[in-house]
Amino acid sequence: MISRHTMSRRKALRTGAGLAAIAAVGAPSILHAQTRTLKITTWGGKWGEVMKATVLPAFEKEFKCTVSADQAFPFVPKLQSSPRNDPIYDVLHTNSNEQWNSFTEGLVMEKITIKEVPNVADVYPYAVSDKIVGVTIFTSAIGLGYRTDKGLATPTSWKDLADPKLAGVRGGYIIPVNSLGQAHLMMLGKVYGKGLTDLDAAYKALEALKPIKLVDFTGQMEKMLLSGEVSEGVIHDSGVYRYDGQNQPVDFASPSEGVLALEQVLNVTPGSKVKDLAFGYIDYMLRPDVQKLLAEAVWYSPANKKVKLDAKYDAKLLTTPAKVATLIQPDWKWYNARKEDIDARVTKILKG
Amino acid sequence: MSTALKAMTNKRPFDAGRAAYLALNLSLLAFLLVPIAVVLIFALNPTPYISFPPVGVSLRWFEKFFASSDFMNALWLSLWVAGCVLVLSVTIGGACALALARGNLPGRAFLTAFFMSPLMLPAILTGLALFQSYLLAGIGRPTWGLILAHTLVAVPYVLRTTLAVLHNFDHRIEEAAAVLGASPIRVFFEITLPLIRPGVFAGGVFAFIVSFDQFPVSLFLVVPKGETLPVVLFNYMKFDLDGAIAAASMVSILLALSVVLVLERLIGLKAYVKL
Amino acid sequence: MTSATIKLEQVTKTFDGRVVAVDDVTLDIRAGEFFSLLGPSGCGKTTSLRMIAGFELPDSGRVHVGGRDITDLPVHKRDMGMVFQSYALFPHRTVAENVAFGLRMRDVPKPDIVRRVKAALAQVALTGLEERKPGQLSGGQQQRVALARALVVEPPVLLCDEPLGALDRKLRQQMQFELKELQKRLGVTLVFVTHDQEEALAMSDRIAVMNKGRVEQVGAPTEIYERPRTRFVADFIGEINILEDEGRARALRPEKIRFVPEAEARVGGTVETANFLGGSTLYRIRTADQRTLLARETHAGERSPRGTGDPVGLAWTDSDTVALEG
Repeated sequence: MISRHTMSRRKALRTGAGLAAIAAVGAPSILHAQTRTLKITTWGGKWGEVMKATVLPAFEKEFKCTVSADQAFPFVPKLQSSPRNDPIYDVLHTNSNEQWNSFTEGLVMEKITIKEVPNVADVYPYAVSDKIVGVTIFTSAIGLGYRTDKGLATPTSWKDLADPKLAGVRGGYIIPVNSLGQAHLMMLGKVYGKGLTDLDAAYKALEALKPIKLVDFTGQMEKMLLSGEVSEGVIHDSGVYRYDGQNQPVDFASPSEGVLALEQVLNVTPGSKVKDLAFGYIDYMLRPDVQKLLAEAVWYSPANKKVKLDAKYDAKLLTTPAKVATLIQPDWKWYNARKEDIDARVTKILKG
Repeated sequence: MSTALKAMTNKRPFDAGRAAYLALNLSLLAFLLVPIAVVLIFALNPTPYISFPPVGVSLRWFEKFFASSDFMNALWLSLWVAGCVLVLSVTIGGACALALARGNLPGRAFLTAFFMSPLMLPAILTGLALFQSYLLAGIGRPTWGLILAHTLVAVPYVLRTTLAVLHNFDHRIEEAAAVLGASPIRVFFEITLPLIRPGVFAGGVFAFIVSFDQFPVSLFLVVPKGETLPVVLFNYMKFDLDGAIAAASMVSILLALSVVLVLERLIGLKAYVKL
Repeated sequence: MTSATIKLEQVTKTFDGRVVAVDDVTLDIRAGEFFSLLGPSGCGKTTSLRMIAGFELPDSGRVHVGGRDITDLPVHKRDMGMVFQSYALFPHRTVAENVAFGLRMRDVPKPDIVRRVKAALAQVALTGLEERKPGQLSGGQQQRVALARALVVEPPVLLCDEPLGALDRKLRQQMQFELKELQKRLGVTLVFVTHDQEEALAMSDRIAVMNKGRVEQVGAPTEIYERPRTRFVADFIGEINILEDEGRARALRPEKIRFVPEAEARVGGTVETANFLGGSTLYRIRTADQRTLLARETHAGERSPRGTGDPVGLAWTDSDTVALEG
């Protein structure tokens, strides 16, 4: 049985038909007897390339295990649908608000501490704040991306997006499906009202942003900025900085009211059969050298305080306590509890 | 001038109707073809976003697509899966259609509806349900599981087209062969199969395309390093929305088209039976 | 060519356990005979034929061909020829391939197949059309291909299920002659199913008239025509007058009625309608006692047909009438 399994696996790899998938999930006990498998989710794109080319092979070698990295969305529904005592993932990598959803359903743990992951000792406070379940390994800053060739002043405030000159060429998100849009909505409450949870002020401010171009994911916002369809829009810093060196007339501005945190969070599933490996992986991802490699690849700000980035990255990313202090973390637990009402309301506002 | 116009319309009273007819056809054609044209322009455009008018012609996105092992693995997996689905659904769907049309089965209407039901269910639910079933059964998500899932949604197409051919099939033709000394097996291979073949393979072409383009069913059933092209494209878009997507789309379209054409050539979808 | 006897022994067949299609039918068909099963649709004639062919299994009773019990023999082992009303040619095969099919099934060597296909097509005057597909042929040509396909294997029995039904009248008549001639020449036992009594009378050596699953009468055409045994047979074959005589029915053919002066008349009446048929005229006559009689008059000499309203006297002899059962 075992030999047949490995044979078919080897053959599949040789054919290059992508059949490597055979029973990788289906026969954990069998694989356990040989090498253990850590099942994780991870991003695609440049991040995924670096992970697959460098980070994961090195991890596999050091921990003598195999990593099965799922890059295919949607992670949370797949996790939801798999048995709790044999979850489809050991480590879940998502943005913060999805972690909160998963936590509410008991799919992931609440806190990752120094006890399980020693490197947590070196992270900035935001990485393990009360707004986070699991542990943050990187963050992006959500601010304003803008065209530098349209005669626009560098934005200094979130209110600049409401400039009448930007009617029809400002960019936002379809709020129900995009966490940047959701975070921005909360920011509107803070900027125009009493705080992040002042939804009435936020709705009013959102209404004033019309006409606005809406997209459902950030990649589209990047393209709209690059093509000039949008002159100024809500976006995370890495979505702009990734075009660094390509002579694109776009730049990123951090509004004075503060930038919103878009955290990359890792968490462990309670039912994982390889918890030690899972914690080991998170610890590994927080190592300064790994953090530096990934941060410079995709322009994410590392959560580990001890990381020393090259000057070019250090200048733009949140690498000092002072810069980190400008991060505002949305309360996703609060938001998710009201999501349905908010969705209905913003859909109505943006439809008109 | 106006009288001349009047005379003209009087003389050819169908002109207005004909013009409307042509306009309708042209707009339908445009509706079908313009998106493909846009994809093509995007694929050939050197910038990583659609710019109109195009700033130039470049094959860089095609190069990126073909150079990417992720895309290539996914493409081969998709072709392999679609090929298996074609064979399986033609066999299963053809056999089901024969049984339903000929078998004198009790509850035939119910059985037909049952086999057609995967079409009624939103494919994303089919995928999710199978995902859960596979995990609960402890078989994980093997490639054959993905192939079976695709087959499940592809079989109704084969069933439909084959039933349509069988519906108009003159049973006496098979009887004539039997009287002439052909055993049931020979009747099937010499007479029945060649005559229902156009229907079976028309369904088979659908099955191939349904599998090759399948996204919702695959979404939950693919595994890391074993993702089909539509899933890889979907995830790629989340991080790198560039012309490689368009190039991949063009390659997909051309591949699907060439498979259809090859099948058409090899098997001949032109029916000699009255359809 | 060999020919074989066919024997149906108390054969019964019901469909869906309710409809009795064939009800206790016994038939003895002689070797080399042109035998017709005649009756209206639903009388069981086609089901009987299909039981001989093996498409239907009788619920009870036996089927013998050439003295051998073949009741349980599958269709493809019965070695028969069959021609269908829809011709049932293989649409994806050429004419030659259609005709060669039965020979191929019998593993006849290839050169022999070529020779025999050629001969069979020549026999039905289709030489030169070998490479055509059935869809490219006329109805009459398709019928000949069907015939050639059935006969090329030299079956001892040829079954024909309303084979001429789809042809127009002229072509049908021509094919009637050809089929009959071919049958006589080959000596094959031919079972012919038809609902057309003229066709049956014209072609058959013997006819079995069927009604509601039962055989009403078996006999030569003249016998069936002249001496119908039952009211159904009398009524189904040609025009007939049914006379009620002291509670018993007697049949009288219209041509047996003579037109006579009123003094000699057995019954008097007036012409109601006159149907001119070319060689003869068929009259519907309203008699003095308010009955309707059909009378046929052959036109000898130049006398023109009688007109509506003309008074006529009619006479016949008792020996011209036939007593009917039931």
